[in-house]
Amino acid sequence: MADAQAHGAHHDAHDHTPPFFVRWFFSTNHKDIGTLYLIFAIIAGIVGGAMSGLMRWELAEPGVTILTHWTAANPADVQPDEYTAAYNFYNVLTTYHGLIMIFFMVMPALIGGVGNWFVPIMIGAPDMAFPRMNNISFWLYGASGILITMSLFVPGYGSNLGFGGGWVLYPPLSSATGNPGPAMDLLILSLHLAGASSILGAINFITTIFNMRAPGMTLHKMPLFAWAVLVTAFLLVLSLPVLAGAITMLLTDRNFGTSFFDAAGGGDPLLFQHLFWFFGHPEVYILILPAFGIISHIVSTFSRKPIFGYLGMAYAMVAIGFVGFIVWAHHMYTVGLSVNMKAYFVAATMVIAVPTGIKIFSWIATMWGGSIQFKTPMVWAIGFIFLFTVGGVTGVLLANAGIDHYMHDTYYVVAHFHYVLSLGAVFGIFAGWYYWFPKMTGKMYREWLGQLHFWVMFIGVNLIFFPQHFLGLQGMPRRYIDYPEAFAYWHGVSSLGYAVTLVGMAVFLVAMIDAFFIYRKKAAANPWGEGATTLEWTLPSPPPFHQFNELPRFDKNAAEFH
Amino acid sequence: MKKTISGLLGLSVMAASAAYALPEPGGIDMQPAASALAEEVHFFHNGILMPIMTGISLLVLALLIWVMVRYNSKSNPVAKKFSHNTLVEVIWTGIPILILLIIALPSFELLFKEGVTPDGKQVVARGDGQTVDFVFPNDFPESRMVKRADHLQVIVDTGAERRTLKHRKDFSVDGWGESDLVVSLNEPAPRGSSVILRGGRSTQNVTDCPTAKRYIDACEKEIVLAPTMTLKVTGRQWGWNYAYPDFGDFEFLSDMAPEDQTTPELYRLEVDNRVVVPVGETVRVTTTASDVIHSWALPNFALKIDAVPGRFNETWFRAEEEGVYYGQCSEICGIRHAFMPIAVEVVSRPKFEAWVDSQRALAGLEPMFADDNVKLAQAGAGAQAE
Repeated sequence: MADAQAHGAHHDAHDHTPPFFVRWFFSTNHKDIGTLYLIFAIIAGIVGGAMSGLMRWELAEPGVTILTHWTAANPADVQPDEYTAAYNFYNVLTTYHGLIMIFFMVMPALIGGVGNWFVPIMIGAPDMAFPRMNNISFWLYGASGILITMSLFVPGYGSNLGFGGGWVLYPPLSSATGNPGPAMDLLILSLHLAGASSILGAINFITTIFNMRAPGMTLHKMPLFAWAVLVTAFLLVLSLPVLAGAITMLLTDRNFGTSFFDAAGGGDPLLFQHLFWFFGHPEVYILILPAFGIISHIVSTFSRKPIFGYLGMAYAMVAIGFVGFIVWAHHMYTVGLSVNMKAYFVAATMVIAVPTGIKIFSWIATMWGGSIQFKTPMVWAIGFIFLFTVGGVTGVLLANAGIDHYMHDTYYVVAHFHYVLSLGAVFGIFAGWYYWFPKMTGKMYREWLGQLHFWVMFIGVNLIFFPQHFLGLQGMPRRYIDYPEAFAYWHGVSSLGYAVTLVGMAVFLVAMIDAFFIYRKKAAANPWGEGATTLEWTLPSPPPFHQFNELPRFDKNAAEFH
Repeated sequence: MKKTISGLLGLSVMAASAAYALPEPGGIDMQPAASALAEEVHFFHNGILMPIMTGISLLVLALLIWVMVRYNSKSNPVAKKFSHNTLVEVIWTGIPILILLIIALPSFELLFKEGVTPDGKQVVARGDGQTVDFVFPNDFPESRMVKRADHLQVIVDTGAERRTLKHRKDFSVDGWGESDLVVSLNEPAPRGSSVILRGGRSTQNVTDCPTAKRYIDACEKEIVLAPTMTLKVTGRQWGWNYAYPDFGDFEFLSDMAPEDQTTPELYRLEVDNRVVVPVGETVRVTTTASDVIHSWALPNFALKIDAVPGRFNETWFRAEEEGVYYGQCSEICGIRHAFMPIAVEVVSRPKFEAWVDSQRALAGLEPMFADDNVKLAQAGAGAQAE
């Protein structure tokens, strides 16, 4: 490994970066494309986060009082059609918040961003297998982002702008019956491009990981983040075409007179739901598996101990990915499935708790006996483990159709999936960001700012989402702009939590500005010490424009590199 | 005119029962259970899932705190190097499987109780002080036939006392699984009493069964009778249509009550025309929709069923107490999704019949329930089903 480091330092001197436009717009460099994805994800995260801010502001008190400021000519005297526009605006916010956070924030951040940056380096490859395809993956995402933004500003239902039917796009609400306007068509095309982009990206990752590992790095010695991205890539390749098919059928239903999902023409609205969730359930693992990989690296690094049960960890992810394909209808317990079918999906869904439990316990076992340093990435990782556990156990509850008939489409579900995604995947993203920030930028951040960011966010997001369990138990339905008086208390607390989270995000912004412009401390090649054993820490920070001109070699009998 | 009367009737009931069924300000648990089945859902949540979920979360928290205290770099400057331990890996794979089995068994039982509409049947005979043999027609489909002691209940109601007889001790049965069951009482039923034979495989725990008994499945069971009526629910943007096919298929619309016609607690929950159903009787609910998907939900009955265009979905509930129960549309259906509440008024049989006749009158139909019929219907509530 010292050998590899010497090589890394060596070609630092030969770095020739292309001129600005060529470098960032025609890029075929995995690190630059990763950076583009990260910038894209940050912008999308700001937009999606602002949307949730509007929702929480509106929901802070009963009554429709906030969104009318955007829809009414005179907010003091709101006309009926201006109220209608506000109701539509709220539905549009829930819909686009979900779509943006899933497709344009978490996926680009974890797969396009961190995946592009570190999978090639970790496996000792100079770049991705198909660098030009990597470029087109990113720019398809850009086009997709433009389309979804356009769909916000064209009519959906009547003269109301945007599509307000929820991120799941269920027909007939998303067909010509419910939303005849062009907003939905643009949304479909946007998802087509995002899907094509992700499929190309996934093919690229699979090829890279299968064919470009450095000599001696067998699959069973490969770092867990690369494993996570490999499993994720397979999920993408297998699930996204199903979504593409479903939304194409929806598009032809809307525009060309087919009736795949129209009961009046012999179709079935539930067919769409089956197709959607056949994609949609693997999708949630697509969002969380890369975060699992990141957490494994961080926990091992800062415990200064190899990951516990490496093979179990890798195959737990494979198992989660596989089972993820056969549990989709647990999103559909109330649609009128037969009771036997529901029983199957209950059983299959609960099985997922076993590999997930293995991961949680293995992370703790990695820390056990370690010599833990509570650096910023590590506190995020520990926060992730606990919060993901909380989201996991409520998932086991929701797996049971007998009680899901009560919980379905209530805030309990909202709380559950935000615990695993907003607190799980997003904490994974921040953990990874603070872990690799010195590597990517060559700069350190101020440790106490990272710690402060964690604590403010941790308190904030728990304040937002924990009370939502109570709202759900009390029966508060999802996607409601307004609610009965009785729900006001916990909605108020939840909105307060949003304000705290916003402060947390401000701390993050300050920490980043500080790192780039004020603190300006250069990062060492390996700022984390002996626990950081993967290949990226053998390269300088930031790594050279092209790394591994001479491939690192591994002794087949040496310990795993993870 | 009649419509106003039924509206007033509703409002008067509301005052007494609203507190029972509404979400509680700042509440942190489930809405009160209003049916025996919802009580089973509550037990599944409070008695089984919550302790397990809390236990697992606290275990993980405790382990995290322990490793943070014991294995931080100050307490343990030199990290150990182990990375495998087959025994603990087997344990943390095996124990979760056992926990899942503990959850799955009651979960499946609950699911099938909710998902299979009861088909229990009741026949009522008069005791004359001499007859000991009573016949129960076992005309169920093969898979639902009365074949075991727990598929049959014999109740003797003398007017003053209602007693459930015990199999073998108080009566014997001939012909399990055959087309006619002969129930032989050890003592003849008193003159003037009613001998109620209830058979079927739809059983549930009786209401108010203590939690401790629920854990060991020692609750007294009751056979749930088949529905006495069907409520046809049609979702539309943005309100509900209700129809009563068993009573002349009269229909009415039900929309959110305007703010000035309701109380602050009930605004966004109250409707202009409530659904009315009889207390203590199984109600079959079928749902469909005329435009987009909606979902008909009643938290007090742990019930939620989507209304999908082109499909009929079916579920059921049985209210134990009179009162008004509220729910809200639970599948996003467009702009006014938040403004299509559901209100179900549960009333006594006579009140229900009076209401049905008032609705029939509105629809131009003759009254259905003469005075005699009221009594008849009360006596044989479940008998006419199936």
